Amino acid sequence: MEWYRTISLALRTLLRNPLRSFLMMLGVTVGIAALTTMASVGEATKQETMRRFKRMVGTYDIVNIAPGAARTRGMPSLTTVEPTLKFDDATAIAAEARTITQIAEVQNAFDIDVKHRDNTTASAIYGISANWLEMHGYFIDAGTPISDDDVASLARVAVIGIDVQTALFPNQDPMGQQMRIANVPFQVKGVLVSRGAGPGGGSLDNIVFIPVTTASKRLFNRDYLTTINAKLKDPDRPEAAIEEISAILRQRHGIVPPGEDDFTVTNPRATAEQVTQVRSTLSTVLTGVAVIATLIGGLGIMSLMLIAVSERRREIGVRRAVGATRRDVMLQFLIEAATISVMGGLAGVALGVAGATIAAIQQDLPPILLWSTIGGSVVLSVCIGLVFGLQPAWKAANLDPIEALRN
Amino acid sequence: MIEVEHIEKTYRRGDGTPVTALSDVSFRIAQGEFVTVRGASGSGKSSLLNILGCLDTPTSGTYRLSGEDVSNYSDKERSHLRCRRIGFVFQSFNLLPRTTAVENIEVPALYSGEALDRDKALSLLQRVGLANRSDHFISELSGGEQQRVAIARALMNDPPLLLADEPTGNLDSASGESIMELLSDLNKEGRTIVMVTHDQAIAAYAQREFYIRDGVIASDGRPPERAALSG
Repeated sequence: MEWYRTISLALRTLLRNPLRSFLMMLGVTVGIAALTTMASVGEATKQETMRRFKRMVGTYDIVNIAPGAARTRGMPSLTTVEPTLKFDDATAIAAEARTITQIAEVQNAFDIDVKHRDNTTASAIYGISANWLEMHGYFIDAGTPISDDDVASLARVAVIGIDVQTALFPNQDPMGQQMRIANVPFQVKGVLVSRGAGPGGGSLDNIVFIPVTTASKRLFNRDYLTTINAKLKDPDRPEAAIEEISAILRQRHGIVPPGEDDFTVTNPRATAEQVTQVRSTLSTVLTGVAVIATLIGGLGIMSLMLIAVSERRREIGVRRAVGATRRDVMLQFLIEAATISVMGGLAGVALGVAGATIAAIQQDLPPILLWSTIGGSVVLSVCIGLVFGLQPAWKAANLDPIEALRN
Repeated sequence: MIEVEHIEKTYRRGDGTPVTALSDVSFRIAQGEFVTVRGASGSGKSSLLNILGCLDTPTSGTYRLSGEDVSNYSDKERSHLRCRRIGFVFQSFNLLPRTTAVENIEVPALYSGEALDRDKALSLLQRVGLANRSDHFISELSGGEQQRVAIARALMNDPPLLLADEPTGNLDSASGESIMELLSDLNKEGRTIVMVTHDQAIAAYAQREFYIRDGVIASDGRPPERAALSG
């Protein structure tokens, strides 16, 4: 019997008994719906995290060089890092590395007191070279950015985030105003465009940028850097830059493998992907439950198909008598099981997409449609139907036609 | 058409003891004959019909259908034979429920490997006198009409041999008679018919009658005249 006939026969048979068909679908529908929702919400969360991460780092087309071996996690800051990465290192990388176009220097610290008259707040202070803001895609809303002249002259100028403006200069124009960073006076020369929330949900606008030289000599009094950012010549090949920069630094620091590096070079995209790939235990457990629900759906199909085989003995006998081979009967029941399972799976996908959309709206995530999940669900439900339909189909195919026709 | 030589059929009971259903049965049926197989229940007539219908194989002996020795055919080969060469008519019609008359007639065509031919199914329905019933569900038809649909189904793949197992057993006498008239007509068109019955009155439609007792053909001859029976 041809495929399309077998499938159309299966559909007609299933439509003749809608209640049973509905019950057969139900388990698979629930399981697949749960799987689809989980996968979609998970992917939406991941994409949103990636988006926020990107918003924080500004660009993925760089590698970041931080002092210390790769053990320490989190954001480097003057209070936590080793003093191994010097200004000279940055100059050497800029001069020698062929895989990068430019470097930016950073000396930063978190939770530093900033004041204007009676208004106080605690902010992240970033001492930066003049090219940092542009390299990271930070834009100036008002005023002017940190310039090469500011860096060269150790100017006490600051570009502030919107949160700092709100805290220190409520209802005032901050431009040209004095502010104190850890009691050192600075003049506000620019305000940044707001960047919103970071990957952890915290604000990215509670930040003050000053020239890196000023930070080093006039504020923190340290001669080492917390980060060097290097812009990639080929954004798709961060590994080459990581290799080259590591080689330069090992030579400069006198490190011979297997000696441990006193620096870490990372690509923010890789870091972001690593961070977002960490699955929570809860979601693993829930996915397991959804898979089990789908399998129980398959068992439901199996038991109802077995009942159907008993009830349809006559039909099987007649089909065998008029010329159906065992294979024909086997295929008929297998296709029936697969068809009902796929229908259940498609209903599950529809429910799952609806569920994911509702979850996305509630959690303020971008609603996404995952074709891979939809395709996977259909394939999974076909497999469920075929696997759990196997035993009933086998039973049907091996009924003795004489027995099956007996009154 | 049919050549049966020294056929034996032995079953095993649940406890393993053998039961002989047919022993040393031999006969020939020529093309175009209408034969009834009569006998008490348990006499072996159903076993014989199952073997003739290729639903079962003999324990020993040979069965040739149109000159082809099919005694040792595999399940698959017998399925193909049933599909193309044999039409079945059952006592309890065995039509598919919740399915229309015309769809029932088409079932054998599903397995013949040929394209589905709705016109042929409709013309067969007309042939059995139910042209206006094609879209009726089986449950909407009377017993006689259901048996007509079943006969049309048996004819779908145009088999030369029709096997009927008590075709009138579930019908009132008027419907039974009209079914027998229909089978007679099909026989007159050249189709070979073997019919199992225990009813002398309908056996009389045939030209030849086997009487089976205890697994052997006790007599092979002309059935009693219909006139004699009704008179």
